Amino acid sequence: MEKIQNKFRVVSNEKLCPRFYRLSLDAKSLVKKIKPGQFIHIRVEDSLEPFFRRPFSVYRAQKNAEIFYEAIGPGTKILSQKKKGDELDILGPLGNSFALPPKGTKTVVMVAGGIGVAPFLIFSDLLKDKGYDLILLYGGRTKGHVFNMKDFKKNGCKVFIATDDGSVGVKGRVSKLFSKIPLDSKATYLYTCGPNPMMAAVQDFARQNHLSGQVSCEEVMACALGACLGCSIETKSGYKTVCYDGPVFDLDEVVFH
Amino acid sequence: MNLAIKIGNATFPNPVTVASGTFGHAEKYFNLEEVKKLGAIVPKTVTLLAQKGNPPPRIVETPSGMINAIGIENPGADSFITQKLPMFKKIGVPLIISILGHSDEQFVSLINKFNVVDGIAAIELNLSCPNLKHKVLVAQDPASTARVVGQLKKISRYPIIAKLSPNVTDISEIAVAAEESGADAVSLINTFTAMAINTKTRRPVLGNLTGGLSGPAIRPVALHMVYRTAQRVKIPVVAMGGIMSTNDALEFLIAGASMVAVGTFNFVNPRAPLEALEGIKAYMKENKIKDIKELIGSLKI
Repeated sequence: MEKIQNKFRVVSNEKLCPRFYRLSLDAKSLVKKIKPGQFIHIRVEDSLEPFFRRPFSVYRAQKNAEIFYEAIGPGTKILSQKKKGDELDILGPLGNSFALPPKGTKTVVMVAGGIGVAPFLIFSDLLKDKGYDLILLYGGRTKGHVFNMKDFKKNGCKVFIATDDGSVGVKGRVSKLFSKIPLDSKATYLYTCGPNPMMAAVQDFARQNHLSGQVSCEEVMACALGACLGCSIETKSGYKTVCYDGPVFDLDEVVFH
Repeated sequence: MNLAIKIGNATFPNPVTVASGTFGHAEKYFNLEEVKKLGAIVPKTVTLLAQKGNPPPRIVETPSGMINAIGIENPGADSFITQKLPMFKKIGVPLIISILGHSDEQFVSLINKFNVVDGIAAIELNLSCPNLKHKVLVAQDPASTARVVGQLKKISRYPIIAKLSPNVTDISEIAVAAEESGADAVSLINTFTAMAINTKTRRPVLGNLTGGLSGPAIRPVALHMVYRTAQRVKIPVVAMGGIMSTNDALEFLIAGASMVAVGTFNFVNPRAPLEALEGIKAYMKENKIKDIKELIGSLKI
């Protein structure tokens, strides 16, 4: 099991904005293997509370392996206290990854809600030199959920922001930014990750405008190895595990409720 | 050092296994050389026909454990035999196949299907299943347990292990019924019926309303049930219920279990069964125990 279960040391753990943290791990063996869209499963503490590991999309894998997270529940709150040199027990990389856009794609639009933005930095690292126009539509609840997006901009992403309270960018949900999406079903391709209602809105928009794309889903996970079947979601072809069949699915495939 | 355990005519190289439903995709994720050290592997319960499982959410984290309501999602016996079993056989560890029938007839059909398959060590009957016209599960009624075990023991080519539910007044009564009707072993405990409520929405957290509680939260209760059962039956007892570590495994062995299975804790530490096995060996060496049988049921009172 040494293949996927390892201990890695924290290099840094910093707050990028009032709500979000970035944690870097000295994890060369992970960095080599990770593909954009994959996740790692972290045991935040060697104790029984919280009991489960916590899954995180990989935010970047260059020198270190990075995750981007919101300290919102018992697991992520403990994680936010980790200091340089602390050791974490990690399973990964796990799950499938984003597939490249189909041939003929000119514009890649990434639609992210809150912490759902995490897998798109590593993905834009991959896409930046491939000749696409990259657009990131980001929706956050408040300005506390908006961080400096210079790394996305350096990768050539045009970034548009909406906040629920209008404190940054356009006031309203990220769907207020859908007007930025070129409506050319042959040349535009979508990727989305965020809360389920947001991804459902992206799916609706895509269907109405005959666009296609991929969606990265999130669920509570126990094993993250396809064993417990606890993180299953409904798809057009039956229940699928987010951890093993996903987390990336065809945008049209997932059934949102 | 002898670690081997016999159940019926099957021999297991050591007493450490995994509980049904907790073992992942070995080929893709695990170091197979390590997995080969296990005493047995128990794949997820198989039913006669495919089951798509319960609507999500299917799991919820609880203090020192979890509640699950997966709904025995599985591809059905035929697909399991053709598509999944070859991969499990390739690992080379004795296989205990967990089966569940929704009727006696389905159980009989399942046994008949596995009777013609080679390379299985034993069959585990998941008796937490519906029971004719009764309101209770088979595993909640000694007579029903005896009926099902007796019928299947007569026709099975492989040893029969009856997996028991803790949702009963006295689990040892059910174990005795299983033994008297020919079971080669009993395994216990399955999960405790449990639920969780989202207080914001006032809805059940699980799509199925109720589920089964497992994990270290239930371990002391499981230990007592195993102890009480081992006092009353002569057949081997396979123990599971919140085992995470060497010390947990030792407790169950000393209480009378012949084999110990790591279940829910596989989800937290997939190496837990192997670590427990190494720990048992170290304990035996340290205490100059040459045969695991000297340790089994060695509780001093």
